[in-house]
Amino acid sequence: MSAPPLLEVDHLVMNYVTEKGDVSAVEDVSFTLHQGEALGLVGESGCGKTSIAMSLLRLQAENAVFKSGEIRLNGENLLALPEDEMRRHRWKDIAMVFQGAMNAWNPVYRVGDQIREALDLHFRPRLSDAEATERISRLFEMVGLNPAMANRYPHEFSGGMRQRAVIAMALSCDPSIIIADEPTTALDVIVQDQILQELKKIQRELGMAIIYISHDIAVIAEVTDTIGIMYAGKLVELGPTVEVFARPKHPYAYLLLSSTPSVTGPRRKLAPLEGEPPNLLNPPTGCRFHPRCPFATERCSIEEPPMETIADGHRVACWNWREVPVSIAQEARP
Amino acid sequence: MTEKIDARPGADEPTDLPPPIISPDSVPDSMWRIRWALFRRSFAHNWKLFRANRVGLVGLAIIGFFALLAIAPTVLFATGIWNSAVYDPVVGLEPNPPVKVMTVVNEITDPETQIDFRHVLLDNRIPNNIQVGEQVEIPQQPAPPDRRHWLGTDPLGRDVLSQLMHGARAAFFLGILAAVVTVIIATTVGSISAYFGGALDSFFMRLADLLIMIPFLAILIVIGAIFEFKLWHLAVVIGLLSGFGGVAIVLKSQALAVKVKPFVDAARVAGGSNAHIIFTHIVPNVMPLSFLYMMFTVTSAIQGEAALSFLGLLNVRISWGLMIQLANTQGYLLQGLRYWWLLFPAGLAVTLISAAFFLVGRAMDEVVNPRLRKR
Amino acid sequence: MTRYVVRRLAQMVLLFVVFLTVTWFLLYALPGDIVKQKFAMNPNIPPEARQVAIERLGLDKPVLIQFRDYMINFFQLDFGLSFNQYPRKVSDIIAERLPRTIVLFLTALVSYYYAGFLAGKYLAWRRGKRGEMAVTIGGVGLYTVFYPWFALMAIWLFAAELGWLPISKFLNPDEWRNAPFTANQVFIRLFVTVLAVSIFMALVVLLANRIRDHRPRALAKVGGVALGALLFVWYWWGTAGGALMRPYAGDIAEHLILPVAVLTAVNFAGIMLLTRSSMLETMREDFILTARAKGLSERAVRDKHAARTALLPVTTSLVLAVATVIDGGILTETVFSWPGMGEVLVTSVSNEDIPLALASFSFIGVMALVGHFLVDILYGVLDPRIRVGG
Ligand SMILES: Nc1ncnc2c1ncn2[C@@H]1O[C@H](COP(=O)(O)OP(=O)(O)OP(=O)(O)O)[C@@H](O)[C@H]1O
Ligand code: SF4
Ligand SMILES: [Mg+2]
Repeated sequence: MSAPPLLEVDHLVMNYVTEKGDVSAVEDVSFTLHQGEALGLVGESGCGKTSIAMSLLRLQAENAVFKSGEIRLNGENLLALPEDEMRRHRWKDIAMVFQGAMNAWNPVYRVGDQIREALDLHFRPRLSDAEATERISRLFEMVGLNPAMANRYPHEFSGGMRQRAVIAMALSCDPSIIIADEPTTALDVIVQDQILQELKKIQRELGMAIIYISHDIAVIAEVTDTIGIMYAGKLVELGPTVEVFARPKHPYAYLLLSSTPSVTGPRRKLAPLEGEPPNLLNPPTGCRFHPRCPFATERCSIEEPPMETIADGHRVACWNWREVPVSIAQEARP
Repeated sequence: MTEKIDARPGADEPTDLPPPIISPDSVPDSMWRIRWALFRRSFAHNWKLFRANRVGLVGLAIIGFFALLAIAPTVLFATGIWNSAVYDPVVGLEPNPPVKVMTVVNEITDPETQIDFRHVLLDNRIPNNIQVGEQVEIPQQPAPPDRRHWLGTDPLGRDVLSQLMHGARAAFFLGILAAVVTVIIATTVGSISAYFGGALDSFFMRLADLLIMIPFLAILIVIGAIFEFKLWHLAVVIGLLSGFGGVAIVLKSQALAVKVKPFVDAARVAGGSNAHIIFTHIVPNVMPLSFLYMMFTVTSAIQGEAALSFLGLLNVRISWGLMIQLANTQGYLLQGLRYWWLLFPAGLAVTLISAAFFLVGRAMDEVVNPRLRKR
Repeated sequence: MTRYVVRRLAQMVLLFVVFLTVTWFLLYALPGDIVKQKFAMNPNIPPEARQVAIERLGLDKPVLIQFRDYMINFFQLDFGLSFNQYPRKVSDIIAERLPRTIVLFLTALVSYYYAGFLAGKYLAWRRGKRGEMAVTIGGVGLYTVFYPWFALMAIWLFAAELGWLPISKFLNPDEWRNAPFTANQVFIRLFVTVLAVSIFMALVVLLANRIRDHRPRALAKVGGVALGALLFVWYWWGTAGGALMRPYAGDIAEHLILPVAVLTAVNFAGIMLLTRSSMLETMREDFILTARAKGLSERAVRDKHAARTALLPVTTSLVLAVATVIDGGILTETVFSWPGMGEVLVTSVSNEDIPLALASFSFIGVMALVGHFLVDILYGVLDPRIRVGG
């Protein structure tokens, strides 16, 4: 991985300003993404995954404030761009499959026309009608849809078909990065799996980078190269998927993985997380995980653990990562 | 069409009241106690939400103000501060109106008081054989506000403030009666339609479709022509029209959303009779929305009354609409600000109280329908 | 779409028959025999008219026969003779008045719908900024203002005080003393030309929307609208027939301005408030986020996605608004002494001119139903979920 990274998120801090105070939704998050890489972001609901995804496109909520940090796309800091230049990067460089993408379609326009809208915006010179139709047909075929469906309205699609069409739209401008935020949560398990597999195949074929976001680690384990575990707005562990699965170093990751039933191996005893997820209006001091952490020591509640590189490309933010057992080793492989 | 009326998203969403409790029908007593506790809790909760909306509070304040106005005459007459010979809104008369002395130069002396002069001549209070050069004393009616009549007097010498107060009374009586009738009918029709479905449902819904399509005022005008309309007749008619009309449609879709809730099934499995399920499970859950539509009904009832009085089609002692009609037919309104005490009180009163109920309704809408709330 | 239209049409016809039935029974068949009583007691009715009417209405025949005759007559557009304007045919009076009310109704409906939608759109987009509160309060005030009072104040201000516009009535009789045309001829000509020009402009704009590039699109729209206006000017100023009629048409148009403006202003507020909340809800939808993520400009997101979709609930509300506007029209016509259907209804009801009252009420019903039908069709056109496979 010597090539310069495609995307660098560098010590990003984002808060939501509310009447009750600031919600610390993204706290000092750093990661990089290379061409063709598949990165997974995992964490329980409300830990800030969507906030990161939205920040990458600068589509954060109105009350969001970037405190510090940079998001660099090919070395260019997106947070410093004026709005109209940022607009040019959207979809062309970074496309997104939204959480709950079932409603991603405007009900009053044909699906094909909505894709065409993106093409018209980003292709110069503009594609002719024939070229556009041809391109949309190809995209539809790629995601396993009948090209004739492009002339239909969203309500004529089933949920799975709509999701495939969303993927087709995300691919339409040949982006170098696709963000898939819970791309399949609303679908039934079989369709979910099909779509993920297809997405993975397409990604490999086209060689684009992809960021998968999910609260369910098992869902994305198969399709990612690298995985980042988030807790309460912080990235607490980042490493090669295989490595993190086999030997999670952060206590939270450890508990998370040991509470995930293994698909192949024998059933393990589940060790559910105790306590409530923290309130990001007023996050715990020191390590944000300390109130729920079985490995916590006194230091944890006072000092914030820094991100520490423990192996090549494997980083952990924990004072006591050495204490975490390696017991779940092999069976945790999905 | 039924669905479209309700296209406002969220109207068929469950409200965010605490969930009703599943209970076997054998213990109605404690059931009601629980319900009461829940009601109190949800009331406190909703009041907090409502209070957050300043506009709704303004609406409530205006309603309170008019309620005071409506009560005031009783107190004023009882304490003798007001003498009914002078202050009665209909037959009262100011015996000593301000007098303007003018010299007759020609037929009409003072272009400013043209209307008064003609009016007075018609009234035969001044000899018709009056000569040029003579002086006449013209009683000023309508008279501008003074210490005795804070809002002046109308063309017939009656106290405008007293009329305004009695008008408020009529408006409350009418609005509230119409709203209650509407809500009772609409809740029943909506719940029954939703619960039983089938032919009953289609009948009520077609009826509602018809009623919302026909211009309200046109119906009232025609009905008003056939029957001698008293105020309470009007209230009942308005209640019927909106109760079987649009409100029934909205409440039905809410009832449909309630019907599919597990506690309704539970009650059915527990052997509850249809009537029991409708009145103890469905109706209470449709209630919050009914209250909301009560507010909107009050608005349209008051406006309907004022319009009918204005057209002279209502047999009512005194009302705001009638006050405007009188001032208008006698030509004072086109005189504009000169007779401001005839121009503003009644017209503003109708407008303000309609706006107040409307604002309260909107604020309640935000409480009942969380989707509308600010983020 | 065809299936949808046909189904709606059938529903409308059915509803209309029900409506007529209910009206008839209300007026004729209710216990107490109101009609007969009114005939017997009403001194305004000329005796021969009474006789004719009693025979015509067959008041001595059995109820069902009466009803059948009434329905047959109705669909033959035969409503008998007016009592008050005896022996004028009711159908003649209606034929004279109906177009006027339709014009009042259409102009008010179209202009308030359009203006209210535009205003609501900008209001929603400016949410939380200065001025929003004031506009909202003003909107609620207009929405709930007591309509006749508001109209009278407008008359006082613009007609009596400032003298910009005529106070009331349909035309100024002084100017028409030696007119070579009847008022209705001029009025219809005016109506037809305005309608033709508007349809032309609407078509041009619709077609222009197909152009993908921004500049030619804007150019085509502006050009089309200008051309339409030019055609209108050419007809009324350039052609002999138009020029001859123009002063009279101008007089009628002058009398039309204030009623339409007042009716529009009041109803406008409701649409504005509704559009605003509909926009605010739409803007929270996921597809708005998608549109932004695609790189659309804020303006395109607002106009192409948020507003277009927010139009649906607003159009739904038109279903109710049809009745409201007709009600407003009745009051407008009365306040302005503007002789349309509403004014006929009120005066005939006050004078107990039963045939005229019944016919005008029925036609107001017809107008409401037709308006309703058109709104339904419009909704179908706007919402593919209804149109396609609906
Ligand atoms: N506009 C906002 N204003 C205030 N707080 C917000 C806002 N948006 C999100 N939050 C809060 O920020 C935190 C992170 O939200 P985010 O949507 O990024 O979580 P997530 O990890 O995507 O969760 P999920 O898995 O449920 O989608 C949450 O606690 C949420 O309540
Ligand atoms: S730093 Fe302490 S509290 Fe935080 S995860 Fe590590 S051990 Fe647990
Ligand atoms: Mg999320």
